Amino acid sequence: MNPLDKPWAQLALALLTVLILPLFLKSGILATEILIFAMVVAACNLLLGYTGLLSFGQGIFFGIGTYAAGICLTRWSVPVPLVLAGAAVLGAATATLVGWLSIRRQGVYFVMLTLAFSQLFYFIAYTFSGLTGGDNGLLGVPRPSIGGTALDAPWSYYTYVAVCFVAVFALLVMVTQSTFGRTLLAIRENEGRAAAIGFPTRLFKIEAFAISGAVTAFGGALHAMLIGVAPLSNIEYHTSELILIMTIIGGSSSLFGSVLGAGFYLLLADALSTVWPRWLLLLGLVLVTVALFLQRGLWGLVERGYDLAFRRERAPETPAEEH
Amino acid sequence: MTDIALQTRGLGVKYGTFHALAEVDLQIRRNSVHSIIGPNGAGKTTLFHALTGRVRASSGRIELDGRDITDTSDDDRVRLGIARSFQVTSLFPNLVLRENLRLAAQGRTPWQALAPWRRAESNAEALAIADEVIQRLELGPVVNRLAGELSHGQQRRLEVGMAMAARPRVILLDEPTSGMGIDDIEAMKQLIRDLGRDHTVLFIEHNMGIVMNISDVVTVMRLGRKLVEGTPAQVRDDPEVQRAYLGNMITGDIA
Repeated sequence: MNPLDKPWAQLALALLTVLILPLFLKSGILATEILIFAMVVAACNLLLGYTGLLSFGQGIFFGIGTYAAGICLTRWSVPVPLVLAGAAVLGAATATLVGWLSIRRQGVYFVMLTLAFSQLFYFIAYTFSGLTGGDNGLLGVPRPSIGGTALDAPWSYYTYVAVCFVAVFALLVMVTQSTFGRTLLAIRENEGRAAAIGFPTRLFKIEAFAISGAVTAFGGALHAMLIGVAPLSNIEYHTSELILIMTIIGGSSSLFGSVLGAGFYLLLADALSTVWPRWLLLLGLVLVTVALFLQRGLWGLVERGYDLAFRRERAPETPAEEH
Repeated sequence: MTDIALQTRGLGVKYGTFHALAEVDLQIRRNSVHSIIGPNGAGKTTLFHALTGRVRASSGRIELDGRDITDTSDDDRVRLGIARSFQVTSLFPNLVLRENLRLAAQGRTPWQALAPWRRAESNAEALAIADEVIQRLELGPVVNRLAGELSHGQQRRLEVGMAMAARPRVILLDEPTSGMGIDDIEAMKQLIRDLGRDHTVLFIEHNMGIVMNISDVVTVMRLGRKLVEGTPAQVRDDPEVQRAYLGNMITGDIA
């Protein structure tokens, strides 16, 4: 195993990211957005990379978190920590439901089911505009405040999100290292065998969905507070697609790959969009490149780079005795 | 406690309108080595699928130690003490050998594994079982290799080890020697014979040398039905078995 894949290395890299972003970025909003998507993408990675489930439903959970924050904060001014916890619980519950129904089918049909749910939830949000604001979304979502001062400055909110991000990332690392996470890998590798040795695989997949949904909704709530709006677009199918693309660009073999994926996408989008209004076209080219030449994503590139730099003289693998 | 570990009555499995298995009555004695033979398509593997719960029986019943398990799910049956190996090697190819066995040992207590905060290494028992199986199968030198990179013989042994790691009472081996070299076959024969001392072993095999050598009871199947059953000598000499379809397939010596 590459030393960079060790849990402490992953955690250290996440901390480093939090500390480095303010040094290189002018916009606190962009930096915060990167961290929010980083955790959401890592949650998607738990399904795609660890469990082998390609879910188009991540936007549902993101949108649900967004609306939970939007509604609770604009109507009842619920304390923010409570909103975040509530969003996570709601996200987990929705993900359990969507997961429970979707994993009844495998492969393409599973993907189609998550896609169908994604559309379904979008139209629910669109239809119940009394609650969600419909096309306009919910305006005026306030930022959290600490000790009576609202974190209105972008960088002070960045700090708030950074603390959340590190905590969530640490939790996800713990999940992937646990016996649960290792069972997920087994299910991804060979579901039939996992069932044959006694694991109720469906339950494990549903739990993976629940954890993923909780984190994604948590991120959705943070996002609503970041942009001050709970927009309809957050629950759109496009958001699901965005999260998946970031996951794939980053590489699904490590959680930190997801942080890279989110960062790379958002920074590139930011840079390209100022250069050329048709920047999405260029992004398409990037995706083609990743799909053709970088199947392990940016993280695969990092691993290769590390090997080249530090392990050039790799200890020759001791040839095991053949029987 | 009866002397019968596993028993079926009138067991049948239908795939659509095709009767893959019909009217199978089996009685597997505790701590015996019981082999199932028969030509391809005789329903041997389907019988295993039905016994482990991978496919549901469409008729009849299955009893484990006198307890009806006909409607018990496959993962529940593992906890009750049935484990199997597969005819086509079915491992976790991108996980190392030891992790494969650790998972198989953990499968007996899967609810523990649902806790996302519990470390895999905290289950010392599963690790101990994995190491014990590694020793018994002499796979020590390759414990940290990916299962997919092992040689065929090693993979076949690991395949059997996966079933052993579940600490089953009844162990079902589906063609454990398929594709093995001559030396490996001898080792596998010893292993199955050993397993028979403290487990109930039910195995499917095409290698008549092994079947005739180490089985206590042989069941011959054809077209989804049980044809003949008896000791190796009885089966080998059964005129119906010889004439009907095995012909001179039975060539192995009885040791």
